[in-house]
Amino acid sequence: MANITKKVSWSSRGDDSALTGEGTPLLNGTEIPKPSRKLSGSGSVFRIGRFSTVDLEDDITSEEDPIRGRPKEIPHNEKLLSLKYESLDYDNIENQLFLEEERRMSPMGFRCLEISRWVICGLIGILTGLIACFIDIMVEKLAGYKYQVIKENIEKFTEVGGLSISLILWAVLNCAFVLVGGIMVAFFEPIAAGSGIPQIKCYLNGVKIPRVVRLKTLVVKVIGVICSVAGGLAVGKEGPMIHSGAVVAAGVSQGRSTSLKRDFKMFEYFRRDTEKRDFVSAGAAAGVSAAFGAPVGGVLFSLEEGASFWNQMLTWRIFFASMISTFTLNFFLSIYHGKPGDLSNPGLINFGRFESDSVAYYYYEIPLFMCMGALGGLLGALFNSINYWLTIFRIRYVHRPCLQVIEALLVAAVTAAVSFTMIYFSNDCQPLGPEHNEEYPLQLFCADGEYNAMATAFFNTPERSVRSLFHNQPGSYNPMTLGLFTLTYFFLACWTYGLAVSAGVFIPSLLIGAAWGRLCGILLASFTPTSPIWADPGKYALIGAAAQLGGIVRMTLSLTVIMVEATGNVTYGLPIMLVLMIAKIVGDYFQEGLYDIHIKLQSVPFLHWEAPATSHWLTAREVMSSPVTCFNRIEKVGTIVDVLSNTSTNHNGFPVVVQVLDSDEPAKLCGLILRSQLIVLLKHKVFVELARSRLSQRKLQLKDFRDAYPRFPPIQSIHVSQDERECMMDLTEFMNPTPYTVPQDTSLPRVFKLFRALGLRHLVVADDVNRVIGLVTRKDLARYHLGKHGLEELQLAQT
Amino acid sequence: MLPYNLYLFFVFVAIDVPSLKCGDVAHLSASESADKLEAVPSLSTAAVSSPVPAVDTGFSFSLLSSFPEDLEVSDYCSDLLHIFGQRYVAYVNCLVPAARPVKVCQSCYSTYGSVVEIYKNISSDQMGPGNVTCRDSLLRSDRLMLVYQLYSNLESLWEDSNCAQCVTGDLESLTNDTLYFMSTLNQTLTCFEKYQQGNHTELCKNCKSAYGTLNVLYSQMEKNSTLCIDIEDAMNMTRRLWSKNFNCSFPREENVPVIAVSSFMLFLPIIFYLSSFLHSEQKKRKLIHPRRAKSNTSLMNIQDKLS
Repeated sequence: MANITKKVSWSSRGDDSALTGEGTPLLNGTEIPKPSRKLSGSGSVFRIGRFSTVDLEDDITSEEDPIRGRPKEIPHNEKLLSLKYESLDYDNIENQLFLEEERRMSPMGFRCLEISRWVICGLIGILTGLIACFIDIMVEKLAGYKYQVIKENIEKFTEVGGLSISLILWAVLNCAFVLVGGIMVAFFEPIAAGSGIPQIKCYLNGVKIPRVVRLKTLVVKVIGVICSVAGGLAVGKEGPMIHSGAVVAAGVSQGRSTSLKRDFKMFEYFRRDTEKRDFVSAGAAAGVSAAFGAPVGGVLFSLEEGASFWNQMLTWRIFFASMISTFTLNFFLSIYHGKPGDLSNPGLINFGRFESDSVAYYYYEIPLFMCMGALGGLLGALFNSINYWLTIFRIRYVHRPCLQVIEALLVAAVTAAVSFTMIYFSNDCQPLGPEHNEEYPLQLFCADGEYNAMATAFFNTPERSVRSLFHNQPGSYNPMTLGLFTLTYFFLACWTYGLAVSAGVFIPSLLIGAAWGRLCGILLASFTPTSPIWADPGKYALIGAAAQLGGIVRMTLSLTVIMVEATGNVTYGLPIMLVLMIAKIVGDYFQEGLYDIHIKLQSVPFLHWEAPATSHWLTAREVMSSPVTCFNRIEKVGTIVDVLSNTSTNHNGFPVVVQVLDSDEPAKLCGLILRSQLIVLLKHKVFVELARSRLSQRKLQLKDFRDAYPRFPPIQSIHVSQDERECMMDLTEFMNPTPYTVPQDTSLPRVFKLFRALGLRHLVVADDVNRVIGLVTRKDLARYHLGKHGLEELQLAQT
Repeated sequence: MLPYNLYLFFVFVAIDVPSLKCGDVAHLSASESADKLEAVPSLSTAAVSSPVPAVDTGFSFSLLSSFPEDLEVSDYCSDLLHIFGQRYVAYVNCLVPAARPVKVCQSCYSTYGSVVEIYKNISSDQMGPGNVTCRDSLLRSDRLMLVYQLYSNLESLWEDSNCAQCVTGDLESLTNDTLYFMSTLNQTLTCFEKYQQGNHTELCKNCKSAYGTLNVLYSQMEKNSTLCIDIEDAMNMTRRLWSKNFNCSFPREENVPVIAVSSFMLFLPIIFYLSSFLHSEQKKRKLIHPRRAKSNTSLMNIQDKLS
């Protein structure tokens, strides 16, 4: 049972006194033997009083652990769960209001709902496509302008001397763009940093990440990504596109914007977490599909990342949204490119088409591809490990916004400096092609009529570099150039991911992979001079790109389809699949995927597909939180307000119990009510006394709850007078009368499955006579995870 | 229409050559249908190929020593064919010596013009003397379509070389741009020749202006897309002379400032990270102790119980 001793060793570097908390009786534990204590109105107030810090310390004096009094502080690490994340309410609350509304609704009404779901999906697709189009055009314009200016400058100074000035100009221009993006992100909306895929993954997993689907986030994200790509960082715009799609979906489906304070009185039925989350998965799919021109890949991405709640109709609707988004992007890009009506323009990233004579591959190449997959897995694991340490450092030391902006600026400047030095010292000169594939050919010290090959890789937006690596003629790059490029770009990309700028990691990964893949192809061709036809460098660049990307993000199904769709040929389906599979196997042996690392470092209570493998011996009794703060069916307003405003226990769900009149009987579970519902009730002053005095008072409807969604006011903003505190509130009508419960001996995997499959937020643990003895929430389940030394437990922390 | 034609076809094939009166009609309709029936080439070409005899009968089969007159190519057409052959040969004779260094446009545009002219005649609809048109009989009476193939080869050569951009529309003379470029080129080359002996740095210094003018002119023409292969090739050769032979490219002589500036920039992040490591206070997380059920069920104790 060394597992468990190990378990405690990580939690605080040898500070064992604090660890006794795991083993010592918890303060509240002492109350457990009598969970049936009175829950009458006055009793509750008393009990809540006991949780205040004063009482806590009183109790603690009797125990041997003096540290318990004040919260212990440890440096941030990956083994924490943050309190700021809550679950989404995916489960329907079937209270009386809901039933009433359903009864009132005609069959026609339901049909209209179904139609409006389709309309919303269409709108999501259109808007996502438009945003993708906007980002694409802006990046092209700004980057074009920047490279033009620098190119002219370099040309001028190559002749007269003073190229270090060009270097400074390049760095300054980069910094200027990144400054705008960095300030937007660091000061206005930190959640918009990074690619956004981890956040969307969490959202689809059922975690409510604060502010992740707000309009402000969208604006910051779009501007941020334009700035960071135009600023020459080693980033792509595909990840942010997925986030943008999700925000669009969350916004459109609500028919209003809380930020703009505009309510279009549309789609009011969809103002619930259940519906919103379905639409967000459609939005994410639309984002993928716009980013890569891969509608099926988009659907599969949603399926892979958020598939616990899935049905055929939803899949079909999501597919519709993806298709519409690709179509919209194609349509508007065709107008922009001056070929209106040409809908064959693929997504944001255009890998170009592989010519038919180079697509062939032979059986003897498959082992080679598999080796490349393993290499991709290794490099991906290295990338992730470096990025992991860097991110921990950033969270611990670079947490102030101004420092984050400075860091981003430094990265931008160094990127320019390194690129310039590489180009400056490169001796790889290639003749200019007849059709001018190179957007901004730099001559520098090459002979007239030739260009610097290193510059096509560095002096370009990353996407164009990927394309030229895939499609340029064999022989347009020296092996030396490619090797140096891979090495530099690997570290640049690794350093860049996790900065406070909106930026994706897809394109940099593809670029690194394409570079070393092409290198492999060139080397293979040189080893076998007799038949160099099969070792087409473009083909190996594609396989390398797939391997590297798979090694970093560890997606499988959706990534295969995305790659196949983005390159527009199914021929490479098998090699790409094999490569991604092997990259994942090899990479997982060393390190998790990049997105999972970032989810962990954000301390998100993320539920994986299955409970940890060796957890069957844990029962609900050990997992649950206890004791539970309950309410009576008819509860005093003062009690409710006190419980809700207690900052130390920020509970969101409260079991409702019914007290049999003679007080000896234990209180039995009869329902569950959420904080948000209580707040709405308090706001509308739905008190028993008032209802009696004012008969004309309008009855509260489900609409009132929806209007408050999703930003329920905090309890502090609700004023309850002293007189009102004495009133009573009847929760019968509003609570969920049939919450899910489990017996206390249920094993952890069973609880986990229930949670994951039904999207629960609270699971009541009841004993044989239906008394509440505990409550399982997401954080209780997410804290168990299989570490290197067996089952480990994460700690809760305030972040 | 189609079935009728087909019908005629079969009639024609079945009756074969001796049907005299209707031969003309049959011929016409047959070749017409050859156009329309491209979907079934084997049938149509098989049927139509027989009426075309070789003009030079020297190597014709003894069995088919000659076709009846109606099917023979008229004298007018064979004359045209002859002229075409002569001009074709003239053009090719002109092209081959102009292959390296490329001068295909400037030296051969007039001969190309004559080939185009004769081909125009052959392919025109207009009736020649004797009310015959040679288009059908010369150009598309057989599967090989030799005349057409030969001509289209030349045409694609002409297009690939972009000569049309250096020659006036009527193929009479070179454009003024081209002539101007050639004269500028000549100036540069004479300059090169003048300083070729001795030190190349001298050449680089003295010919720089001439070479620069040429370069500017070239990029201007590139923008206007008035380049043809002659100019491109001449420019390529000049550039190679300039860069490789005379070594007049810009030297890489600013290593020190570039290295200094970039290492300064590389140095900044190190300072940044060090200072933030030393001066920024480390972010701590407050641990929250969850409310759990009674102690004897905690992990530790379960383990004890199990063991």
